[in-house]
Amino acid sequence: MRSLGILAAALATSCVIAPRKLRAPPNDQATVMLISGGLAHPMDEIARHPWFAVRRAGEQSFRFIEVGGGGGEDPFQNSPYVDPILHEVWRGAEAERAIECLEREAPPWLNALDYWPYPGPNSNTFGDVMLRRCDLHASLPATSIGKDYRGWFGAGVTSEGTGVQIETPLLGLKVGLQEGIEVHVIGLAFGVDFWPPAIILPLGPGRLGFADR
Amino acid sequence: MRWLAFAILCAPATAAADHWAESLKGAATAEYEASYVHAYERPAMDEGEADGLGLAGLRARGQVGGDLVGYSIGVDLHAGATAPGGFAYDCAFYPMGLGVRFGKWSRFAVIGGVAAAGATGTIDDAVILPAEASLELALGSRLRVIARGRLGWVAGAPSRQDGSPTVAFADELDASFSIRLGSRKSDFGLAGRGYYLGVGYREAEGSRFVGAVIGHSIDFATR
Repeated sequence: MRSLGILAAALATSCVIAPRKLRAPPNDQATVMLISGGLAHPMDEIARHPWFAVRRAGEQSFRFIEVGGGGGEDPFQNSPYVDPILHEVWRGAEAERAIECLEREAPPWLNALDYWPYPGPNSNTFGDVMLRRCDLHASLPATSIGKDYRGWFGAGVTSEGTGVQIETPLLGLKVGLQEGIEVHVIGLAFGVDFWPPAIILPLGPGRLGFADR
Repeated sequence: MRWLAFAILCAPATAAADHWAESLKGAATAEYEASYVHAYERPAMDEGEADGLGLAGLRARGQVGGDLVGYSIGVDLHAGATAPGGFAYDCAFYPMGLGVRFGKWSRFAVIGGVAAAGATGTIDDAVILPAEASLELALGSRLRVIARGRLGWVAGAPSRQDGSPTVAFADELDASFSIRLGSRKSDFGLAGRGYYLGVGYREAEGSRFVGAVIGHSIDFATR
């Protein structure tokens, strides 16, 4: 009973230790950042939306590659999404390659998108597909509902590249070195991340423990 | 000309249908919930039954109708484990019910339907006919009381029949009482959300269970 109370308090305060600072690197090199933001109230604690903020070397402002699409000088401001989290940053030659890949892969996928908010395909499915197609080793948080959508059935390597997953809309399983163990029930992710250590939950920032780095 | 006559004849009916659609009011709630209840009172000679039941999943409720009274439906999708270990599930669909909205933010509903619940090794799989009464009561802008009681009539599992020590006319009883702490806004309709913590209670197979409930709830309603 006491541990449930502690868990409630931790969730209510969005307890993630050592998150990445929301700071854009200088524009001397190309930059790609994977960012997610919570949906507007009252969905802000249960659903997030991802975007790739991309900027070539020397450019002043970022362009967002996402379902929707926008941009600006501040890569973390993407209305109406709130409480942004920076998940990963790619710089230099790796970012140049990523931008080329995202520009090549995103438009046809988005044009063919038959959007369904739940269970998918949606903006989070897009984020996960782009990570895998462009070989960008990162993952979206548990509250990115739809990130594991693979249609009626799907199996393959995870977006972080160190694990495998098997998915149906009802049940799914992801196991990996970096990914930890995630069980997916009707699109909700529960599990344990071994490094950085955290409990994976489909609420708030998607984890209780250390930030995913 | 015939089309003109048709349009003139149908215009009042179309306008009435439009007015009816516009006058519909709706409300919905979604709850992510995890709960655990543990047996504190068991019948004598009771072996092989579950000492505890932990479930997690989604509960969704909806209502559509007038300002005050509406038609209510609901869905439960829960899975978890028992102690000693066994995969447990409790899924329900409530296609019929009646709800009452009182004030902007509070409501009461009674719904009924069909459920499937069980656990490997410890709780016999059964089809259940459940009836649930629920109350969501707003206490100011941040606090919300969530109270829920479900009676179940069990089919297909004789060991689970007549299992409620308190309610003689039902086989099982589940109840919870929680307090939600959160926020609400009325920018686009009425919407609130927050984390809740409460007490869970269960009567089944002659045993009484008590435990804790934790969850996150969001609610929407038209003005």
